[in-house]
Amino acid sequence: MTTKLHLACCLGVLVPCLSLVSFYDVAASPVEAGSLPRVRLNAESIGPRRIEQKTGEMVARDYAQAWQDLADSLEANRTDLLNDHFAGGAKERLTQRISEQKKNGLRTRYVDHGHQVKAVFYSPDGGEMQLQDQAQIELQVFGGQKMIYTASTTSKYLVLMTPGADRWYVRSLETVPDDAF
Amino acid sequence: MPKVILTVPFSLMLLALPALGQSALRAPSSVSAGSSFSIATSGTGTAMLYLLGPSHVVKRAIELGQDLPIAGSDVVASGWYQAVACESGGCTSTTFQVLPSSPARLRFLVHPSRVPVSAPDAINATALVFDRFENTVLERTNVEFHFFSAAGSAFDRSVPTVRGIAWLQIGSTSKQGPLRVVASVGEAAEARIIQQVASEACGLRIQAISGPRTVKLQTDPVRDCGGNPLPDGTVVSFTKIDDAGRSTVDTPIRKGVASAQFAVSGRARISVACGVVLGNEISVNGERR
Amino acid sequence: MRRALPIFIALVTGVLVAAGWWRAGGFALHAERSAGTAEQAVRALMADIQARNWDHAFATLDHANGIQEPDFIQEIAGTNGSLRTYSVLQSFDAWLLHEDGNHSTFRVRMNWSSAVGSLDELRDLSTVRDGNVWRVVWSKPNYPKVPLQVLPVNYLRWDVIGRRSDDWGAASVDSPQVRITSMNAVERPDRVLILGEVENEDTVPAYVNVNAALLKPDGSSLDEQGSFDAISHKLLPKQVSPYRIDFPGLRLSQVKSVRMDARALLVPASADPVISVENQSIDKDVVGRKVLKGVLVNQSGQTVNIAQVLAAFYDANGKVIWVSDGYLDQALLPQGPVPFAVSIPDEVAARVHSYHVAVNHYIAPTA
Repeated sequence: MTTKLHLACCLGVLVPCLSLVSFYDVAASPVEAGSLPRVRLNAESIGPRRIEQKTGEMVARDYAQAWQDLADSLEANRTDLLNDHFAGGAKERLTQRISEQKKNGLRTRYVDHGHQVKAVFYSPDGGEMQLQDQAQIELQVFGGQKMIYTASTTSKYLVLMTPGADRWYVRSLETVPDDAF
Repeated sequence: MPKVILTVPFSLMLLALPALGQSALRAPSSVSAGSSFSIATSGTGTAMLYLLGPSHVVKRAIELGQDLPIAGSDVVASGWYQAVACESGGCTSTTFQVLPSSPARLRFLVHPSRVPVSAPDAINATALVFDRFENTVLERTNVEFHFFSAAGSAFDRSVPTVRGIAWLQIGSTSKQGPLRVVASVGEAAEARIIQQVASEACGLRIQAISGPRTVKLQTDPVRDCGGNPLPDGTVVSFTKIDDAGRSTVDTPIRKGVASAQFAVSGRARISVACGVVLGNEISVNGERR
Repeated sequence: MRRALPIFIALVTGVLVAAGWWRAGGFALHAERSAGTAEQAVRALMADIQARNWDHAFATLDHANGIQEPDFIQEIAGTNGSLRTYSVLQSFDAWLLHEDGNHSTFRVRMNWSSAVGSLDELRDLSTVRDGNVWRVVWSKPNYPKVPLQVLPVNYLRWDVIGRRSDDWGAASVDSPQVRITSMNAVERPDRVLILGEVENEDTVPAYVNVNAALLKPDGSSLDEQGSFDAISHKLLPKQVSPYRIDFPGLRLSQVKSVRMDARALLVPASADPVISVENQSIDKDVVGRKVLKGVLVNQSGQTVNIAQVLAAFYDANGKVIWVSDGYLDQALLPQGPVPFAVSIPDEVAARVHSYHVAVNHYIAPTA
């Protein structure tokens, strides 16, 4: 065989093998300890209540922290990590999701590449705030050590946040169709 | 040339090997929450199916090449789902979206629970519309708000939802008492009660009955400018200034009036206040002590 | 030999006991308790009070004025669950005001350590020579005699029942609406103070706390403090309380702005007791300090165990320029007047145009 034929054979074997290997045993890149996902909050079109500067900063910070907690809890299969920034239906759904994926030997990794958030509703009494979030998320699902699913998507979320004693909680976090906003 | 012809198809065959061996899944692009449906599969043999949703995970063995029935109870939460089928050769997946079903529930928030009468835009009512699985209904829906006051008047407002939320602001009525607010959409309805209370005291006046050494004071019935009586327990402050100095007493309204008694030395000026509202000032004469 | 050991042990024990007595100030205490001079008599009395040795303290007094032991103990040790009953005499200082052959007068500053902190009391004590011994003349307490009567109490009471629902969006009751009606930042030699008044604008009672954060020019927080007990926490509807928030060690020049926060909780409350504040006037106390003094009268039928006076002082423009507070160490018996005095800094007193006094009260729960 000539050298070129050898090379073609090797490539012919190597390429399919690489495509198989990408679904398996790919070491995930470690998440930077202590770093929050990037959240950019735009409150220009919020109403009927205007948002105060400090409130906006708090909401952005607590929303970012909520996403960090969500990622940590889904990867570690720990529902207690949801206690700090989730409440109500969002917490119940995530708790159920974690319990069931744990029961089925799965874990989920969210690689968060940032959120473009638009605040669209703030009730006059300040008790509820609705956000539209366009998030760049890389989703990886593992069955044991084996990755069974991966996807890199731009997902749209409709979020309801409510104020607590010293922070804002995510009370509802729902993915919506691409044409929702 | 024959060597090249042989090389390319060989490589392509190798590339195609995974495709030839793997199954495929096909799901509807969207389903309604709680509705059962099927995912079509191709291929042969058995595989492990993983259905991953926002609040639910299913894992079960399946036969490839057959339609997979998915129960409605597995897709109650709206959002994106992933269906993954894994076999020895690898995993294949598909995604689909679960959309909220029809409006069936309301979360109704009314603030404040107590409001002074005749306050413009003081009452805020916010309704969030959900389907029976607590998914936010994004489709535009009309929420009906009904208001029933203690005086017997009633009025309605219809507000369309935007992203699942309908809200309105109204002022309180001029008469104190409970204001019942009902929000409804379809068969779902929620009621709340707002207490309309008297606002600041208006025309606060005291009358005095003088004795040689003491003076008894009593206010007229304490009312706001709309004639609503201030509730019992509201604090009224009396102040007396005479030769002995200044004396004050904070006393609560009882049966609509507040009363106090002071010892008086010489000429005394007596005033009254309720919160930040001042009443009249009177002068009395007492024996010098 | 058999007797030597017990004798030796007894001797060593005696020496050790004596050393301990001497070490504990036994000689000084003995000197104080022997009243060979007027000053010794005063110090001996204070030592007995400090040791809560009431019988010995009373025994050393001059009884010519007919003072009774129960009255003396009631006054010095406290009764009716008053603040004095939770206090001990921590230290004292006495100095001579004047003397002649057989009489002298001392001024005693007593520092009481109480449940609410350190309390100072100034008292003038006369002494009289009785043979070779000096005795303190303790003024006979004048407790008001309230005639037997029935006092109907029908003030309103509020209870809070039920439990706040965990279900978001369920029917609930809002926290009381309170409003900070005034705020003034002032500087003293060693601190910055935030003074003002807060009103319960609602129709239900409120438990109120006022907090303040001093902000630097860049908007970050310099310090955050609360009003602690310099406020009347429980406010009935439309009731107004002064508040004072202290920031020790800071200067106004460091502060760009102040962020205020008034928090209110729904609590059960009673409109009883009503306490009147009578005969208020600004005067000087025995050591020349400016004080606002007056008399509290409990108009209800229930004993008020501990009362605290809060006074807001206003300038000619109605701005709050100072807030003083002080605890009474006597209980307020029904219908019985009890005097009070709270101090005012001299430079503040010069600018005072008017004032308002609020009274905090604590009634011990009955079994």
